[in-house]
Amino acid sequence: MMGTQMTNRTNTGTRLPAVAWLLMIAVMVGSSPASAELLIRITEGADSAIPVAVVPFAESGDMPSGDKISSIVQDDLTMTGEFRPLPAEKMLSLPSKGDEVYYRDWRLLGQRYVLVGQLTRKGDRIEARYELFDVNREERVMGATASSSVNSTRSLAHHISDRVYEAITGVPGAFSTKLAYVTLERAGGKPRYRLQVSDVDGKRARVRLESEEPILSPAWSPDAKKLAYVSFETGKPAIYIHELSSGDRTRVADYRGLNSAPAWSEDGRSLLVTLSKDGNAEIYKLDIESRSLKRLTNHWSIDTEPTWDHTGEGFFFTSDRSGGPQIYHKATEDAEPRRITFGSRYNARPRPDNDGKYVYYVHQRDKAFHIARTDLRTEEETVLTRTESDESPSLAPNGRMLIYATKQGGDSVLTVIAADGGAAYSLPASQGDVREPAWSPIAR
Amino acid sequence: MRGHERDVTSTGHPPWKSPVALSVLMHGLILGVALAGWSWSVPRDEPQPPSISARLVTQNEPEPSPVTEPTDQPDRDEERRQEEEERQRQEEAERRQAEEEERAREEARRIQQEKEREQQRQEEAAEREREEQRKAEEEAARQKAEAEARERERQKAEEEKRRQEEAARKAEEEKRRAEEQRRKEEAERKAREEEERLEAERKRRERERRLKEQQLEALADEAEQQREAEERQRKEAAAAKARESQMLSESQKYQALIRERLSQAWYPPSSATEEMTARLQITLLPTGELADVKLVSSSGNTAFDNSALGAVKSLNRYPIPDDRDTFERYFRQFTIEFNPRRLR
Amino acid sequence: MKLATQQKALALVFSLGLVAGCSSTGGTAEDGSDDSDVSAVDQEGGSTVYGGDDEDGVSSADMTEEERREAEARAERAEEEAMREITTFYFDFDTAEIKSEAREVLVAHARYLQANPDQDVRIEGHADERGTKEYNLALGERRANAVERFLVVNGASRSQTETISYGEEKPAVDGSDESAWAQNRRVELVFQ
Repeated sequence: MMGTQMTNRTNTGTRLPAVAWLLMIAVMVGSSPASAELLIRITEGADSAIPVAVVPFAESGDMPSGDKISSIVQDDLTMTGEFRPLPAEKMLSLPSKGDEVYYRDWRLLGQRYVLVGQLTRKGDRIEARYELFDVNREERVMGATASSSVNSTRSLAHHISDRVYEAITGVPGAFSTKLAYVTLERAGGKPRYRLQVSDVDGKRARVRLESEEPILSPAWSPDAKKLAYVSFETGKPAIYIHELSSGDRTRVADYRGLNSAPAWSEDGRSLLVTLSKDGNAEIYKLDIESRSLKRLTNHWSIDTEPTWDHTGEGFFFTSDRSGGPQIYHKATEDAEPRRITFGSRYNARPRPDNDGKYVYYVHQRDKAFHIARTDLRTEEETVLTRTESDESPSLAPNGRMLIYATKQGGDSVLTVIAADGGAAYSLPASQGDVREPAWSPIAR
Repeated sequence: MRGHERDVTSTGHPPWKSPVALSVLMHGLILGVALAGWSWSVPRDEPQPPSISARLVTQNEPEPSPVTEPTDQPDRDEERRQEEEERQRQEEAERRQAEEEERAREEARRIQQEKEREQQRQEEAAEREREEQRKAEEEAARQKAEAEARERERQKAEEEKRRQEEAARKAEEEKRRAEEQRRKEEAERKAREEEERLEAERKRRERERRLKEQQLEALADEAEQQREAEERQRKEAAAAKARESQMLSESQKYQALIRERLSQAWYPPSSATEEMTARLQITLLPTGELADVKLVSSSGNTAFDNSALGAVKSLNRYPIPDDRDTFERYFRQFTIEFNPRRLR
Repeated sequence: MKLATQQKALALVFSLGLVAGCSSTGGTAEDGSDDSDVSAVDQEGGSTVYGGDDEDGVSSADMTEEERREAEARAERAEEEAMREITTFYFDFDTAEIKSEAREVLVAHARYLQANPDQDVRIEGHADERGTKEYNLALGERRANAVERFLVVNGASRSQTETISYGEEKPAVDGSDESAWAQNRRVELVFQ
């Protein structure tokens, strides 16, 4: 009797809390769907490039021979490393206007965007009407017409690439810009240095200067109309400015010793240059009009490879004042230099982006030379290339691509990578020994 | 019932309490009077010696007080000098030759007189001083005698007090012994009473217990029924809880699947930054197909928003749980947030 | 080809040096009347002045002082001429430090320039292909400047010297291995 009473009592003792607990759960469960809807956070995107279908453009009238416009656009998009175009033979249909696009078909093919277009010959011009569709949103992202002369359909293609790229990514395309670079041919004993300018895909290359003596450091003026470079044509290095449209050349620096590493100011009126006329390599600002010089560094070490930062007030440069070459930055012409790179004993030839976020440079790791970048805010360094004799990084004006020179089978070749280290794209090997690439600004 | 009442009256406290209280009160009073007597007499005796010594110190002072004479002397000198000058001026008019001599004699006489007066004055002061000394001595002797008399009186009073106290203590002792005796008797009585009370209490409890047992037995069936009902409720609630947690874990599984599918389907544009966030509200059909999507919070970048919308719309069928309740609760409508943490 | 002659020259210098080591240095100390050129060499190389002398060591005792001096000078000239065959000097990666084995030869060049004020020399600095072109241009200049300073300190006149850096543009040897790089990190003297 007592026993049962006791157990009964303990039971009733725990009963209340148990009820309360259940009640709490009921309240919790009951209220949760009402108060806070389920939230799923997506913090990572696909590692692969965006699938995009560039449908061969329909043509009416005589078309010039050579590469098709749509295939040039396709190659442009591929070069960025951000897109993965669908081969034409895999397409289920070849629409050329909006009402022919069946989203379902392209969805089945896993495509995100479809570019269609038609080309029409109009006298000595080619007109392109093109439209871009978002397959999943089932929406026309953009549509436009553009035309060019029959002889410059490549320009037309690059223009379309620029528009398509910007519509998808929100960043201006850089496909209509130019590359300057130097080739070297040694056949027949005497070396032939050639300064050339081409499209960003390496096509339509034109020789602008040829010499038996070295040509170095081509640098684009901000309006993309002039090049400054170093030429040894007189037997010693001097800095020249070369007007591309006319071919006119001016020797702007020819001092005793070094005259090297020209870099344009944003207003195009002055150059940063490296001169050793006062004893050793120092950085000067050269006023192009008056030829007056202002010395910006003063150190017994090598100071060279200057380049203005995105503000146009300060500049980056290479100095071996710490023992080996490292990147330094001066916030103003007269500020104290601040060392930027610490990751290894050799970091040189800085190239900053346009918004002050990163600086790119040549970086030695173990025995190899790579292209690396440092995040100027976090000071985090990332090695961007897997190739091993890398030189001369040059950033596309939209900051999304980077071209550099590297070795391939003994010859120097140019390679384009996504500026964040994504997919690499080698320019056609027909270029031979190519070095010193310089990516032009977007022409204004 | 009757016994119970008697128990209550037998343990009546007033008769047991009052003698103790009385005796305590009495003792307290006696003790209080004795202590008060003590503490009262002590402070009255002691303050005297300091007041005597203080007075002695002040009596020594009045000695050097002949301040009045120096103020008299110059007045009289002046009078005399004026008379002298008057006379001299008269004599000068008549006879100048003897003037010097006379004045010198006069001066000498004056000095002599002055000396005499000074001496007299000093004698008088000394006399006064002696008089005062004598008076002070007399006063001291008188005071000493007084003090001695007082001291004798005090000692006598003390003696008297001690005697009285002794007597009081003895009376106290007597009283205490009597009290102790009384207490002892009282305690014995109390113990007896307590024993009786406890016995009664035990009996009462026994009766109560028996009563309660009967009541509980009577309630047993009812309690059993209630317990069973509660058990049923508890089981039902547990089942609901289990179902709830099953739904929750089920939902989490499908959340992860959706997250994975969307991550694979999302191509953040080149312009994306880690600061950009787009929120989309998703409505699904029970088949897992997308019924509706709304951009509820834009990233501020069209390309970014479009990439999120494209990703959400690119899934033909969302992975959703088979269980309809789980679907309704979690996946009928939910929100997806796109915010790149690790850009390529 | 070029390398072969240089190696031959180096071998010659070495053998002369070894033979000279047998003769006493005390002989040099006696020649207090010698001109400063000689003493400069002595300081540098630890006395290789007696050179060919030793070939007829026994008869040397019979020579007159005049004859002995003439022989010495002759030997010296021959040795220096042999040393001056060497016109390329090598450097370690990213340094412009003149190696100890180059110093003696450069002293010979300096003496020759001092003795022939009309002779000019072009000092060409080079770097290997590693690293950046502009930095290498500066590095090549630093090497050329180091050699120029050494020549001037040892007797050449600054008016006779001219420096130029080609950086990594004119490698002596093609190739991308350690041996090619070692031969390309250099300063060349070009007498005009």
